Amino acid sequence: MSNFIYLIPTLLVLFGAIALLFMSMYEKISVKSHIFVSSLFLVIALVFALVNANTLYSIQPYDSFLNNVLTFDTFSNFFNILLILGTLLTILIGEHYLQHRSYFKGEFFSILLFALFGMMVLAQANELITAFIALEIASFSVYIMVGYNSDDSKRVEAIFKYLVLGAFIGAFFLLGLVLVFGTVASTNLADIYSYIQASNGSNLELLYVGLTLILFTFLFKIAAFPFQSWVLDIYRGAPMIITAYMASTFKIAIFSFFMRLILDYIAPIIDFWDTILQVVIILTLLFGTWLAITQDIVKRMLAASSIVHTGYLLLAFISLSYANNTILNIEAAYSIMFYLIAYLVSALGAFGLASHIISETNIKVTFDDFKGLAKQRPFLAAMMTIFMLSLAGIPGTIGFIGKVYVFTEALKAGYVALAIFAIFATIVSMYYYLRLIAVMYFYPPKEECISEDFNDSRVSTYAILFVAVLTVVGGIGSAVVFFIPALNIDTLINFAQLAVKSLFL
Amino acid sequence: MSADILSFIIFLPAIVAIGLMITTRDVNTIRNIAFLTTTVILALVLKLYLEFEPSSGMQFVTNVAWIETYGINYYIGLDGISLTILMMIAILIPTSYLLLWEGKTKGYWINMLLVQTGVTGTLLSLDVVLFYFFWEIMLLPVFLMIGQFGFGDKVFTTIKVTVYTMAGSLLMLVAILYLGVAYHSEFGVWSFAYDKLMQISILDYNTKVWLFLGFLVAFAIKIPLFPLHTWIMETYKNAPTGAVFLLSSIMAKLGVYAVLRFMIPLFPEVYIEFSTWFVIIGLFGLVYFGIAALMQDDIKRMFAYSSASHLSFIAAGIFSLNSYGINGALYLIIAHAIATGALFLLVGLMQEQTGFKTIKDLGGIAKKAPIFTFVFAVMLFANVGLPGTNGFVSELLIIFGVFNFNIYLGVIAALSVIIGASYMLWMFQRAILQDRPEGSPELNMRDLKIKEIVGLVPWVVLVFIMGFYPEVFIDKFEPTVTHYLQDILQIGATR
Repeated sequence: MSNFIYLIPTLLVLFGAIALLFMSMYEKISVKSHIFVSSLFLVIALVFALVNANTLYSIQPYDSFLNNVLTFDTFSNFFNILLILGTLLTILIGEHYLQHRSYFKGEFFSILLFALFGMMVLAQANELITAFIALEIASFSVYIMVGYNSDDSKRVEAIFKYLVLGAFIGAFFLLGLVLVFGTVASTNLADIYSYIQASNGSNLELLYVGLTLILFTFLFKIAAFPFQSWVLDIYRGAPMIITAYMASTFKIAIFSFFMRLILDYIAPIIDFWDTILQVVIILTLLFGTWLAITQDIVKRMLAASSIVHTGYLLLAFISLSYANNTILNIEAAYSIMFYLIAYLVSALGAFGLASHIISETNIKVTFDDFKGLAKQRPFLAAMMTIFMLSLAGIPGTIGFIGKVYVFTEALKAGYVALAIFAIFATIVSMYYYLRLIAVMYFYPPKEECISEDFNDSRVSTYAILFVAVLTVVGGIGSAVVFFIPALNIDTLINFAQLAVKSLFL
Repeated sequence: MSADILSFIIFLPAIVAIGLMITTRDVNTIRNIAFLTTTVILALVLKLYLEFEPSSGMQFVTNVAWIETYGINYYIGLDGISLTILMMIAILIPTSYLLLWEGKTKGYWINMLLVQTGVTGTLLSLDVVLFYFFWEIMLLPVFLMIGQFGFGDKVFTTIKVTVYTMAGSLLMLVAILYLGVAYHSEFGVWSFAYDKLMQISILDYNTKVWLFLGFLVAFAIKIPLFPLHTWIMETYKNAPTGAVFLLSSIMAKLGVYAVLRFMIPLFPEVYIEFSTWFVIIGLFGLVYFGIAALMQDDIKRMFAYSSASHLSFIAAGIFSLNSYGINGALYLIIAHAIATGALFLLVGLMQEQTGFKTIKDLGGIAKKAPIFTFVFAVMLFANVGLPGTNGFVSELLIIFGVFNFNIYLGVIAALSVIIGASYMLWMFQRAILQDRPEGSPELNMRDLKIKEIVGLVPWVVLVFIMGFYPEVFIDKFEPTVTHYLQDILQIGATR
């Protein structure tokens, strides 16, 4: 029974998803009540997840029932908190958008919670088939959400591209899984680890091929270099709030499983991919930057810049450097975790705010449409500025601390040239982030975008404000300025450290 | 209280600015509140100035953990060098408020206040990451000011200047982090305090040169030194007067200060090795920007080049490796801040009144506005370095310094000062004194108001006091400089 508490958040989300499915059968229940019910489930799940946030544990409960395919530890709990928080904030920020688009019906929230369930299981999986199923639950839910309202031709394009490419890369994962199974005769990650340990470096060829194929899935889902081109069209075509969800929460879920895989289980042979990863990082940064500066549509620019952020995260990954049976630079793992928090907050804020702005109208799409926003809605423009500065890594925001963390670890691991290359990507990124701020503040509003009646005192706005406050507090900490020690930057770092430590219990 | 006085000085403007953001008062009230805030800060800085002990090192130090995991501290303090510049900032900003008429919106004054937090924070930080924090922060209000209140192609200008300077800063960030990593690998703990980083001994010479250059890029762009000056003309021309004043009088000086505070102590041997080159670059900049200024017709651009020329001279003084040069450079920092600050404000006033931007359109100001012309002339002569003004003392000291460093360069330095006199006086004759030609458009120009005169009187008085009794001021920072140079030369010699 004592183990049951660890399962509660995941089960609550699943239960919530099913409950919402039944709720959606009744046409009379409004979207607003769906929002309320789903938020309620998420808040309760979040509370249960937070209970265990500060304890170090790692268990595999009910082995007769679950067969050791799920690990519940501080690490998965850390990600569960982020994922639940991301979903909750997505719903709250999207409150306005979801109510203004007639095609969002009750079942949308059920699908959203199913997606979250998939991601949470993914964060806990320590077996490849479970991981695949969890990944597909999450992916299919996201496919459906991307394709909502298929009247729009852009949306049809988006869902087809995503579905076909996603299914294709899923086949890669399965093929890799088969090859791994052929070598190890098990799909449990712990067995793979002991096989690697026992083999002393021989008979690993098929395992290398299989794991490479599995890592392709990873690169695809996080939109790293050879697999980055889908991001723009799909982020552009999807409903805005779903873009926010994919860019922030879904990306983190992918990292959860692959961090577990790489840190804990295949670390001894990680050197094999070192050179490949270096090339991937350089090209990811290069292509992401190039795509981002050439976009005229804000949503596409944000999508392209998310590729650049993937590059920074991979830079932290490569800094782990393994030798003599230990990971030399485990701090790099903390830096990945911290950067994920920073990116979740800033990206969710930026995409979410964009979706909030276009709620009533459809026209805030290109940079030109954002002209004069600061005069019409100064509060929202200020929030957007905070998110842009955070994405650009300007001091005073959580994005700065994240960048400092990642670059420090890269330099410590000796990847000086890569770090300098990434700094150049950051320099260019200043341009496209500042451009949006400049457009909002320095131009008069366009005629057709002027509308009088905004109602900005609503849930969405407060949710955005909350995210903005998180962004700033995460960047300056509260101990120095406000003399509240509890909310300091170190607290976040400690959470990340605790989570990584629980992997090695 | 006395321990936290520096934090109070740093954050008071920001707190007031945030408070003003949510009020809906009219601009005049906001402007008065902002002015009051800066005078409170001036009073506090005067208190500091009197309490300061010239002979002892860092004072009023606050050192608390900020990000403990990485040993990044909120570490601030004050020594003779930073006190001098703090005093300069505290005097310049409130008086400039009296002359800035373009600030007709709330955002303008909020930005001015935020800049003050940024610059004082930069000045007082002793932790390198904290320094970087403020160094970047202080640029954002200027970005908004140029973009909103500038002229011409203001949006392009503001994005260009911001990305340009941030490019330098980010390269410096890599150097900062590299130093932190080196400290960590040598001592096993993290620290970014500048006095801790000075103890690093594991870096080889070539790495140090690269790190030195990483820091140099950031500072050379801000100052600006010769090849990295390409942003200033457009910026000074298109930016509102307030932003030009901040960039030229205050932020450029912080670039020089940062060289003294961080670059030279961290890499003394590299500094000694390269000093000849930098003195040459400095003197070349003095001549090059001087000649460029001579050829300008746009009056703000001319001042932009003039400012760059003086800052190159300051850099030459700093790199000349002796106490004459460094004391002179510090003195010129203040003298130039006063003179150029006043001149930019006066030119801004003149442009707003007359609507003319170029020298050849102006003329006949002296008849219409005698008091204006008098103040303008005083500042101009201080800028040129006429005996009796503060500019003379400082230029003389720097020339002594360069002579001590190398006799040939000293001769060049002494001779090239004449260029400054020539473009300044020529401009003065054409734009202010000379009568307007027949048939030219009517000139609208009023004389200074009482409020503006009150604002300018302290500057004029300072010009002469600093010119006749330099020891009053030099005594405050001279002991610090002497200690500082001893330490640097000793460390440089032992390695």
